[in-house]
Amino acid sequence: MALIATDALTKRYPGVTALDALTLELEPGIIGLVGANGAGKSTLIKILLGLLPATSGSARLLGYDVATEGPTLRQFVGYMPEHDCLPVDVSATEFVAHMAQINGLPKSAARERTAETLRHVGLYEERYREIRGYSTGMKQRVKLAQALVHDPRVMLLDEPTNGLDPEGRDEMLDLVRRTGTEFGIAIVMASHLLGEIERVCDHLVVIDGGHLLRSATIGDFTGRTQVLAVEVEGDVQPLAETLTARGLRIVAEGHTLLVDLVDERPYDLIRDAVADLGLGLVRMEQRRHNLEDLFRPVSGPAGEDAHAAAS
Amino acid sequence: MPPPVKSAAASSGGNAPGAGSIYDLGYRHYEGARLGRRHAIASLYWYSLRSAFGLGRRPSSKIIPWALVVVALLPAAIRLGIAAIATSRVTPVRPEQYFNLINLVVALFCAAVAPEVIGRDQRTRTLVLYFSRALSRQDYVLAKLGAFVTALLALTLAPQIVLFVGNTFTGTNALAYIKDNWADIPRILASSGVDTAVMASVAMVIAAQTARRSYATVSVIAAFIVTSALAAIFVQDVGGTGGHLAVLVSPFDLLRGFNLWVFNVPETEGIVKDAGLHGSVYGIAAAVIIAVCAGLIQRRYQRIST
Repeated sequence: MALIATDALTKRYPGVTALDALTLELEPGIIGLVGANGAGKSTLIKILLGLLPATSGSARLLGYDVATEGPTLRQFVGYMPEHDCLPVDVSATEFVAHMAQINGLPKSAARERTAETLRHVGLYEERYREIRGYSTGMKQRVKLAQALVHDPRVMLLDEPTNGLDPEGRDEMLDLVRRTGTEFGIAIVMASHLLGEIERVCDHLVVIDGGHLLRSATIGDFTGRTQVLAVEVEGDVQPLAETLTARGLRIVAEGHTLLVDLVDERPYDLIRDAVADLGLGLVRMEQRRHNLEDLFRPVSGPAGEDAHAAAS
Repeated sequence: MPPPVKSAAASSGGNAPGAGSIYDLGYRHYEGARLGRRHAIASLYWYSLRSAFGLGRRPSSKIIPWALVVVALLPAAIRLGIAAIATSRVTPVRPEQYFNLINLVVALFCAAVAPEVIGRDQRTRTLVLYFSRALSRQDYVLAKLGAFVTALLALTLAPQIVLFVGNTFTGTNALAYIKDNWADIPRILASSGVDTAVMASVAMVIAAQTARRSYATVSVIAAFIVTSALAAIFVQDVGGTGGHLAVLVSPFDLLRGFNLWVFNVPETEGIVKDAGLHGSVYGIAAAVIIAVCAGLIQRRYQRIST
C-alpha cells in the first residue's frame, strides 16, 4: 500500500496557487520533501493532516482519504509543526501525556508511553519542569515527543531542525533517522536544507511552485551525470578551443572544463588534445549530481521581464 | 544524542544487555486500545477544567480562580454562620437573590479564566496540534465550552448547594425544611444552569476572538459592566417599549429577571421592576444569547487559520 497517494491535488488561495495538480505516489520510508520557501511543502503536509481542505483533487495517506476519513486516519499520524506550538505553563510530562490521551490512549498507557518517549528524545530530569524555561533544543524534542507518543504509523515533520544550533541539529537529525529506521515508522520530513535531507532520508520529493519537480531515491539524485569535468595544469583556453573545434560541447567553469558526455569519444579526444598541447592533466572525472543543482537559480527571463516592467 | 545514561531501569530491563545503556530498552510499539474521538473530547475537557483552576500548574495560577470561588461562597458561609449563632431569627438569603450578590465575582472569574481556557491555545499555537488529531473543530469547542461551564458552576451552583444543605441542618427541623423547600431544588438547578450558560457563552465568545490575554480579560469584564450601565440608562431614562427591552442586553439584569421568574417572585425595585417585562421574555432572551454565542464560537473556530 502506498504511504501517500495524491491525484491532481490542487490548493488555490486568492491570487496564489500553492499546489498545482500534484500527483504523487510514495512508498513508506523516510521521505524528504524539499522546496524553496513557498513551494508548497507545508501546504501539502497540512492537507494530508486535514488542517486545510484541498481546492480540488484527492489525497490518501496510509490508504485513508484525508478529506472523508480524517478522524480515523489521524489516530495513526504524528505531526511536528515548524513553529512553536507548546503551552508554556505545564511540564513536558503533563503536556505529552495529555496529547497521548487526545490521540486516544487510555490514561495509564499515556503515562507509560510519555515516560518512554521523553527518554527516547533525550529529556530526563527537566521533563518535570515548566516548558517556559526550556531551550529551543528541548522544545524541539518535546514537539517530536508529542508526535511520537501514540506510536503513529507515519510522522509528518515540518522543518524539525528549525532554530537549532549545529549540535542540536545533528542530534535532531539522528533522532529522526533512528525513529525511521529502528522503529519502522514512516517519516515525511519537509526541509529547505538539502544537507539535512541527504543525511536522513532515503527518498526525495522535490516541489517547486506547487509542481512536482522530481521524486526519486536519494541515490538517483546524487548519481553520475553525463558531464565530464576536466582539470589541467596551465591555461585551459587553448584546450577549450581545440575541443570545440573537434565538435565537443564545452562549458568553462574556472580552471575546469565541463564536457558533454554523449558517448565514449570525448575521453580519447581530450587525452589527445591534452598531449598535443603539452598540458598536465590533473583530473578527469564524471560529475556527480549534487542536490544543490536542483535549486540553482534559473536566470529567468521572467525575472528580467518583471524588472523591465517595473522600471 | 546525549550520552547514554546508565540507569537501574535499563539494567533491569528485559531487553537490555549488560551494558545498560538507556537505548537498549528499545522502542516498543503500542498494541493497546485506541479510544478515538470521544476519548479525545473527554481528555480535552478534563485538561481544560484542570487548567481553569490552575491544577498541574504553578501555584500562582491557582490564586485567582480559587480566591474567586471562596469569595462566591462567602455570602452563603456568612449566612450560615449567623444562622448557627442566632438560630433562624435572621432573614435567610433566598436562592433567587444569590446570583445578584455574586454576579460581579462571576464576571471576574469569567474575565480571568475564559482567556486561559480558550485563548491560550491560540496564543501558543497549540490549536494546530489539536486540529490535526482525531478531534474536529466542533469537538474542540464542545470540550472547551463544557469545561468552562463546569468550572463556572463552582461559583454559581456550589454556593446554592452549600446554602440549601446548611439551611436544612442549621434550622430546628431538617425534615421540615426539606418538606417546605423541596420545590426550590429544580429551580436552583434551572436558574444556576442558565446563569452559568449565559455568563460562560458571552465570556467565551469574547475570549475566543483574540489570542491576547489582556485584551480578552478587559473585554469580558467590560462587556458585563458596560451593558449593565447601558441597560440602566435606557430603561430608566429613555423608557418606552424600546427602552425597556434594553434590559435584555445586560446579562446581569437579564439573569436577575430570569431567576425571579423561575422562583415566581416579583421584583421590588431596580431596573428589572422598571422594565416590567414578563418573566418568559427573559427566558427566551437567555436561550437566544446562548444559541447565538455558541454559533459565533463555532464560526470563529471554523475560520481560524492554523
